[in-house]
Amino acid sequence: MKLTRAQRLGREGAILKQLTLADEIIVLLLEDSSGAINPACAGVANIAIAGGVLMELALLGRIDTDLTSLFIVDPNPAGDEFLDQALRMIAAEPQKRSSGWWIERLGLRNGDLVGKVLGRLVEAGILRSEDRQFLWVFSRRAYPQNSGREEREAKARIASIVFNDTVPDPRDTLLLSLADSAGVLDDLFSSKQVSKASKRVAEVVALEEISRSVRAVVSRHRAALAAAKSGRSWVGPGRDW
Amino acid sequence: MEVRGEVVDGVALYRIAGKIDALTGPDLHSVVSSAIGGGNPRIIFDMREVTYISSAGLRVIVLSAKQAKAANGGFAVFGLQPAVSEVFEVAGFRTIIPIVSSEADARSTFGA
Repeated sequence: MKLTRAQRLGREGAILKQLTLADEIIVLLLEDSSGAINPACAGVANIAIAGGVLMELALLGRIDTDLTSLFIVDPNPAGDEFLDQALRMIAAEPQKRSSGWWIERLGLRNGDLVGKVLGRLVEAGILRSEDRQFLWVFSRRAYPQNSGREEREAKARIASIVFNDTVPDPRDTLLLSLADSAGVLDDLFSSKQVSKASKRVAEVVALEEISRSVRAVVSRHRAALAAAKSGRSWVGPGRDW
Repeated sequence: MEVRGEVVDGVALYRIAGKIDALTGPDLHSVVSSAIGGGNPRIIFDMREVTYISSAGLRVIVLSAKQAKAANGGFAVFGLQPAVSEVFEVAGFRTIIPIVSSEADARSTFGA
C-alpha cells in the first residue's frame, strides 16, 4: 500500500498516544475553512512546535530549565518518538544551551516539523488529508478536522485561564503561551476579548521560562522576516542569548 | 532538598532547604498534596534556606497554590534569597501568589 506524505511523516514522527502541546498548537493553527495553517502564523509554526516539544519534555520530567540553561533530568525515552528525537538531540549536545537556543535549533534547523505533526494527527484520525483544487488549476493538500473536538477542548482550556483570575494549570499556561506567541488568539476569540485580556495573557505567559523563550524567538524571527522582506539587514542578538 | 513540616493554628508550614527542581519538586508536591487532601489547605513555604529553584520547582509552587485555593485555603511564601527572588520576579509570581518577607506576614495573609 502506498502511503500519503502525511501518513509517511506521521509514522516516521511518532506513535501518538495522546495529544502533546505540539499537536494541540497545530490543531489551533489550522483554519477551519481552508484546512491549512493560518497564513499569518505559518512563518512561526515550526518555532511553536519546537517550543511545544520542549514544554512536553519538561512536563514529562525529562528536561528542566532555569534562567540560563536547559538541561536533561532523565534521558529515558518518553515513549513518543517525536519527543524522543528531540530528547536524544539534547542529550547528545556536549554544551549546556539555553531554551532559546534549543527552540531555534529544533524549530528552524530541523526540517518540516509542521508536516510531521500534521502526519501524526492524520494517523491518529484527528485530521484527514484531502487534495483540494484552487483557481481551477492548482491543487493543494488540506487537513480538515474530523470532529473538531480537540480544537474545542484546547480553546476551552485557554479560555478558562484567560478569562478567569484563577491560578493557572502549568499545561494550560504553556498552551496559552504557544497560541499567543504564534499569534492565533485573535482567531480564537474576538479582538475585544483579546484586548481586554492582554494584561492577564502577558502575566500568565511570563510564568514559564520556555514560554518566554518561545515568545522571544518568535519575535526575533518575525523581525528578521520583516527585515528580509523590506530589504533591510537585521542585526539580532547573538546565538546563545 | 529537606522539608520539615508543622501545622500551627490550622496553617501547614513547610521549612524547605536546598534546591527545588525536577528531581526534588515531586517530593515537595507530594507532601503538600497530602496536607491539602488531609484537610489543611492553608499552606506557607518558608524558603529562607532554598538556594535554587528551577522551572520545575516553580511549577510545584503554582500547582500547590492552585490546589490550596481549590480547597478553599490559601498559599504564601516568605524568605526568598536573592537568587530565588530574581527567578520569582522574572516569572512575575507576585501576580498569582503572596510573596512576603516573614512568617508573621505570611500568616496574616490567611488572617491567622
